[in-house]
Order: sequence, then structure tokens, then C-alpha cells
Amino acid sequence: MTKENLSKDNGPKLDVKIGGLRLKNPVMLASGTCGYGEELSDLIDLSALGGIVVKGISLEARTGNKPPRLFETPCGLLNAIGLENVGVQSFLKEKLPWLKKNQVTTVVNILGNSIDEYEQMAALLDGQSGIDAIEVNISCPNVKKGGVLFGTDPKAAFEVTRAVKRACSLPVIVKLSPNVTDICEIAIAAEEAGADGVSLINTLLAMAIDIEKRRPVLGNVFGGLSGPAIKPVALRMVWQVSRAVSIPVVGIGGITTYEDAIEFLMAGASAIQVGTATLVKPAAGLDILHGLVDFMLQNNYQSIGELKIQD
Amino acid sequence: MKKRHFDKTARIIENLEIRPNIFLMRLACPDICSYAQPGQFCMVKSGLVQGLDPLLRRPLSIHRCHRDTGEMEFLFRVVGRGTKALSMQTSGQEVELLGPLGKGFDLKPTQIPIIVGGGLGVAPLLFLAETLSGKKGVAILGAVTKGELLRLEPFKKTGLEILVATEDGSFGNEGLVTSVLERLLAKLDDRAARDVAVFACGPHPMLRAVFSICNGYGVKCQVALETIMACGSGLCLGCAVRSSGGYMHVCKDGPCFDASRLLWE
Repeated sequence: MTKENLSKDNGPKLDVKIGGLRLKNPVMLASGTCGYGEELSDLIDLSALGGIVVKGISLEARTGNKPPRLFETPCGLLNAIGLENVGVQSFLKEKLPWLKKNQVTTVVNILGNSIDEYEQMAALLDGQSGIDAIEVNISCPNVKKGGVLFGTDPKAAFEVTRAVKRACSLPVIVKLSPNVTDICEIAIAAEEAGADGVSLINTLLAMAIDIEKRRPVLGNVFGGLSGPAIKPVALRMVWQVSRAVSIPVVGIGGITTYEDAIEFLMAGASAIQVGTATLVKPAAGLDILHGLVDFMLQNNYQSIGELKIQD
Repeated sequence: MKKRHFDKTARIIENLEIRPNIFLMRLACPDICSYAQPGQFCMVKSGLVQGLDPLLRRPLSIHRCHRDTGEMEFLFRVVGRGTKALSMQTSGQEVELLGPLGKGFDLKPTQIPIIVGGGLGVAPLLFLAETLSGKKGVAILGAVTKGELLRLEPFKKTGLEILVATEDGSFGNEGLVTSVLERLLAKLDDRAARDVAVFACGPHPMLRAVFSICNGYGVKCQVALETIMACGSGLCLGCAVRSSGGYMHVCKDGPCFDASRLLWE
């Protein structure tokens, strides 16, 4: 029944726009939880989703942090992967063709050590067929130069966003860190620099200690907390940011069910990203999409925008 | 493209505590069973877990695959909340299974297989032994003491020669499986050494010793590794392990590895 609802002409309008990025529906998969798409292809039809944000890539390949990189906490997951990725050239050569062939709306998450590197990345991705937008990662907490330096200072966030915007004609979404005093300040800086949208939140800086071994569990000591445990924090931040800026907001943080997704859309998000839930259940994103459509039909919502709470 | 793995709900046929805290779960899952290779695993979540905690599925190696009936077995120890929930399940209840995942053992170069299992390390090895059944090979199984030996009977039925080691000498050879392996390899001439392939699973120090012995005798060695995983399918890159070519991932590049490619610090 849900599948029929999706294709009904008289069903709710699901498409959303983030600047020049058009999504057929508001459900995306978050960077770092869906690989480069192909890994999931046996289990779900990625082209049915609004889009996917591929694993963050850098100018050169990165090896990532020393293990252990994972630890499960109550309703949450701690990770310190360390931005392991194949590098932009391998991505273009080996990963992008598959995404293009399978008509997956593709957002490329980029990260760098310097403004210059972000700029070079944006220039390399510009004009590549198969790439629909860039998500600028200024928020990874797990590497010293993971971009988080740019995500905690409004001036630096402005500079890096402006550099990326100038270097490419693709829609640019800036992914924000929750590990700041005032996330609105950073969001406003990104907006002023020309960002087409902001996505939030990245993981919360966190840790765990092994009391038998009397040492931190993660090889990197600190990691990023994701999963249902962080959802209320993320929702609050999405509510605040969507009232502080006029560009679209993409809500991320512990979204596991369609009800979670609706909360974020009501809080002010134009679209959402499913992260840790996909690691647990590969079809989580599609389940959320179907649940969202059913909810809209039952409650007579005609478009995604109507869900937003106006205050 | 043909589907190679599945996300399925499977019904438990039997779940037995065969040793304190160690469970043998048999369930029906023809799809996964028909594609599974020895050494592969599934991400498993108990149907008793209704909420969000524990959040992740648990990686369990496929202990046995009955292709004729579509039944699979898992052998697992209760170590945390995820395996605790699985241990409390009874026949007729359901589990969520994602699989078969990862790279199994490479069986191509196998003339004379020697299987080495320490403790719960026998979990992926019975499937392997039953697949190799009929070959002239050996399985060396070890435990701390006789009462902790696992799955001796089904191993015997594979037709492989079975050698047993217990650390306290209560059954079979006294000592470690690695001593038995070393004595076995010492008897081989160079030509025979080329035909032997060792397949090992067990605690990390045991695997390191197995590799070191095999390396000394010029014998090929594969090991099945166990790590914490989140997705089991190459999405999160959390299960990194050091290799000569940089980090590899246990869920995709493994769990079965050519031991000479790993760094054994």
C-alpha cells in the first residue's frame, strides 16, 4: 500500500529544493553511513530516496584512525573512524560512475585541512556529471584537521563557504558541528557566505572508558556520538537554526523512524538525513519515506513545507 | 545483478545452552543459507529487542549451513546485552538477519586442510570442516579443559582426523593447539608443506602463534578475525585491522584473511 501511495499522482507533493538542488523527496542518507552507495545496492533501491551523501572525501586518500574505532552506548554509537576515504581522484574514477549509472541523487561530502584544499576539491567536483551538490564538512570531531576548526569559528566558516561557492557552480550545503556554544552563529556565517543550505548536526564529541583496562575505549580517545541518543539535541538545534537563517535546513541526528523524521520537518527542516539507523537496518531510509507518505496522506498534508510549525 | 545478501526475519527452531553461557541456535533461513560460504557471517538482532537498546546487530559467524533444509546454526557466547537477548530466545521466536556477509575462507588452494580452532573459535570452522568433508585433512580443537571443548562430535563426523588439546591435559594432548600444530607441521617434507593449508580461528594470541608457526614451515595460513562492528557491510569503516597494505576492514576484506597480509604486533 505504501508503495502505491508513493506513485499516486494525487498523493502529497514530496519534492523539496535546497537552492539549486532538487530532491524528489526529503529523505537522504547521511555521509559516513552509506559508503559510496554501491555497498547498499543489494538491499535497497537508492534511486527511490531523495539522495545520498557519500562518505566524506579529501584531496588525498586518508587511512583513518587507529582501532578500536567503535563503541556502542545506550541508544547510541560512538565512532572515531577518522575520515578514512579513497581520495577525490579515486572517487571520481571508481565510485561516481556507479552512482551516475544507477541514477542516485548524489551529494558529495568534502573535507580539507585548509581553505585552499576545500577550494581545490570544489573545483575538481564542479561540472562532473553525476554530482548534484556538495556538502561541506566543517564538523568532523575525530581528526585534528577534520574541518572542525572551520566549524567552530564563524569567521572561518564564512571563509571556507565563500571559497567553495566561488570555486564551483554546484549547490553548496554546509554541515555544522553541534560542539559549539551557539550553532546559529555558524549557520548565519555560512548563509552570509552564500551557502544554499545548512545540514545539522554532525556527531557530538564524546568518549567511553574501559574500567577493567582503565583506559579510554577508543583508539582516538574521543569520538562522535550518533544514534537515537542525540535526537533531542539535534531537534532543538534544527528548530533554532531554521529560525535564525532563511536558507533551507537539512535535519540530521538519530533519525530512526518516520515519526522522528516528521519531528525534524515540523521543527523546520526542509529535508532530513538518516545516518546510524541505516547501519542497523539498511532499508531504514525507505521505511521512513513510506511512513512519512502514509502520515501525510492520513493527516491531509499536501507538501513537505506544510509540516513546518509556524510560530 | 544477482542478489548476494539479504535482510531477513528468520524463525528459531532450537536454541540450546550447550555449555554455561554458550548457545547453539538453529534457525530457518533458506535465502542466506543457499549463498553462504564457510567463514562468512551475519549481523543478528534478537526479535526480543523492540526498542532502540541495544541498538546494533551483532556479528555472528555462520556455524553450520544445511543447504538441503535451509537451516543455519550460530554458536555464540553471551558477552553483552545483544547476545544476552539472543540467548533468551526460544523456538518459534524470530531474529533479524543480515547476511551472508564478508569474505569467507579461500578454498581454492586446499589440498590438505588443517583446521585449528581454539575455544569458541570453532564457530566458523564447523561449516568449513563440513564443506571440506571427504578430504584428507586434520582438525585440531582446543580448550582450557575437557568440559569446555565444543562441538567435538559433529567435527568427528566430517571424516577429518581430529586432534584435541586441553591446557590442563584432561582430554587429548596436554597443552595448546599450537603445540599440536607445530608437531604436525614438523613431520611434513617440503612438498607436503606446499599442499597444506591452515585455517584458524580463536583468541588473538593463538592466531598470532598459529601464523608464526605456519610462516616458519612455509605453510599457507588463513585466519578468521572477530571485531566489534556496527554495520557489517562496509558502510561505517569501523572494523579496521592493520595489514601490510594499510587498514583493511574485517567486514568486507575479511573476516577471513591470508594471515601473511596482516600485521601481527
